[in-house]
Amino acid sequence: MQILTEFKKRDKLKIKHLDCGYGFKRRLAELGLFESVEVEIIKNDNFGPLIIKIFDSKIALGRGEAQKIYAQKI
Amino acid sequence: MLKKYNLTVGLTGNPNVGKSTLFNALTGSKQHVGNWPGKTVEKKEGEFSFEGKKIQLVDLPGSYSLTAYSEEETITSNFILQEKPDVVVQIIDAQNFARNLFITIQLIELGTPLVVALNMVDLAKMSGISIKIEELSKLLGVPVVVISARKQVGIDDLLRAILKKRDTKNKLRIKLTYGTEINEELKKIKDFIKSKEKIDKQELDWFSLKLLEGDYRAEQNLIKKPYYLELKSLIQKSINHLQNIFGKDIISILANTRYGFIEGLARKVVDRKKIKQRISFSEKFDNVATNRFFGIPLFLFVIFLIFQATFKLSEPIMGWIELLFGFLGNNISSLLASRGFSNLFISLINEGIIGGVGGVLVFMPIIGILFLLIALLEDSGYMARVAYIMDKLMNKIGLHGKAFIPLILGFGCNVPAIMATRTLETKEDRLLTILINPFISCGARLPVYVLFVGVFFSAYQGLVIFSLYLLGIVVAILMGLIFKKFLFKKSSSPFVIELPSYRWPTLKGLLIHSGERVWLFIKKAGTVILAFSVIIWALASLPAGVDYGSKQSWAGSMGQSVAPVFQPLGFDNWQSSVALIFGFVAKEVVVGTFGTLYGVDDVESSSGIESLNSALQNDFTPLSAYAFMIFVLLYVPCMAVLAVVKKETGSWKWPLFMIFYTTGIAWIVAFIFYQGGKLLGFE
Repeated sequence: MQILTEFKKRDKLKIKHLDCGYGFKRRLAELGLFESVEVEIIKNDNFGPLIIKIFDSKIALGRGEAQKIYAQKI
Repeated sequence: MLKKYNLTVGLTGNPNVGKSTLFNALTGSKQHVGNWPGKTVEKKEGEFSFEGKKIQLVDLPGSYSLTAYSEEETITSNFILQEKPDVVVQIIDAQNFARNLFITIQLIELGTPLVVALNMVDLAKMSGISIKIEELSKLLGVPVVVISARKQVGIDDLLRAILKKRDTKNKLRIKLTYGTEINEELKKIKDFIKSKEKIDKQELDWFSLKLLEGDYRAEQNLIKKPYYLELKSLIQKSINHLQNIFGKDIISILANTRYGFIEGLARKVVDRKKIKQRISFSEKFDNVATNRFFGIPLFLFVIFLIFQATFKLSEPIMGWIELLFGFLGNNISSLLASRGFSNLFISLINEGIIGGVGGVLVFMPIIGILFLLIALLEDSGYMARVAYIMDKLMNKIGLHGKAFIPLILGFGCNVPAIMATRTLETKEDRLLTILINPFISCGARLPVYVLFVGVFFSAYQGLVIFSLYLLGIVVAILMGLIFKKFLFKKSSSPFVIELPSYRWPTLKGLLIHSGERVWLFIKKAGTVILAFSVIIWALASLPAGVDYGSKQSWAGSMGQSVAPVFQPLGFDNWQSSVALIFGFVAKEVVVGTFGTLYGVDDVESSSGIESLNSALQNDFTPLSAYAFMIFVLLYVPCMAVLAVVKKETGSWKWPLFMIFYTTGIAWIVAFIFYQGGKLLGFE
């Protein structure tokens, strides 16, 4: 299990754990990001927000926020 | 009560699914298409007729869920629960079918009389997604109509479905099963509420589910009940129990169940063909727009083009408006004079009222054109990329990625810049961005710099002006950090935004949007600006008989009594104090005021400039001139800015605070500069 920011472009992942507050968790769930969902990293420049493909949409996620999300490569 | 409409229809859906485009197509009313998630906080309504029925259409803010997370999201669920519309239309973007269904499920669970409008089916087909419409309608138990909001295809079918929906009561309603464990816990909650309260079954189902999710709105409803604490601990026990069984948090458990249902449904109705993945133009563009090296230069270039276009296009129009008002003023003055009105009254009409109205209207072209271009950036999907590339930088100074746009706009004019803070989601982020915005040097301050730089720094004009712009940015950043530390301790809202696919905005949408902004400005800010204009006029012309703005006028005596305050800053002549007072109307007025006070008729003619220059050289040294420019840069923003701050924050508290804190900062910075310069021997 690694944090989201450690993955690279085109990595396909399964979300394992969200270590953030209640409100933000719910917000992410609405966008399709929750435990056990599969996502793909579209962009990770090692600074600034990440771009992740969740279902069929691109979501930009702040780096600080991404550091609270754990995932596993599939 | 007589009902004005035959039926009321709510329009909902995820952001960027074409909701506003459909709204515009149906009502043609004032409304705008945005690309920021959840941009329209106000409730927008329109009306139209179809088959002899008068239909009221309510545009609900775009949202991803019915659970109350932000202010906008309570609006949608409140509307459906309390105002009970006859029909709710949800627009679904066929390209992102699964995610869109998340809210569909919640709407159905809520018992909403729902009609689904499936939009962008053609685009979905191009990427290999085709949807079996009838199958989908059967499985959801709601009518599904294929439309194209942009091409206005299928609109009549949709309207017929709406009318039909109203006449048939919900019989077939799918029920999502959450599985034995969750159902057991839900039953405990329901049984408890049922024992305390008489409540409709459907409402009970919804309410208990929301309580398990920790919905803010549901909790607020409960908090006053005598059994609140008892129920609360029951819910908490249920949550702990479920989290233990599933080994994940309650939100993920429920989301999994819902998406599980959606996946099952999608397997039955969606055909996904593998289409040869050609990299589309929009992908290529996106690679540049979000590139870590090219992203920012591209954006700066785009902003440069927008500034050029805005100011080049609006300049002549502003000239015409000024001419028109000058012409009006002169003619009305001579008309009034021929009827024997007193000079004072004529001056009030001419300088105070006509000048004031002109001062409001002269902003129209800038706001109209600038917002048209910004709407183009927003609606095309580019603005979300800007927020993405700027987030890192902005984060360092405690601001949200989206806050960069209002700051950049401030270089043109702080008025539309402050209006643009609406794209920020939380109140704290908005307020912070508004408070530091006036330090970004707007276009109206440039004439003041040009005047002084020409007289005192002719060899280093560009450099000196650039240093002032830079100083403004530095002060804005420092103040941002200070406010963040002391005023808004809550950290800024987490950065998460959808990057919608690029598309061409519709001209109609753009025009409606910018027209709306211009109108809002005139309506709300106009009255305030007019009032200030009359006050400034009174100061300059009273007591009766004095020359406008002369030493004997109230403004003149104010200038003389204020002047000593500026002595430590190096400019204690009364003229500059009066110029600063008048600069409150608009900062470029400072230049004209110096002209009037030094008895120069035309500050734009070469002889006029000449005599103004020598007058200034008597009263200023290079050091005090620079201190004066610093003061002009930082002190109280013009009245138009204060008027929009009042409008955007909803109270006089913040504009009043702004007057004092900006002027205080201006004094301190100019003081440090002047005294420091003197110590270093620059005088």
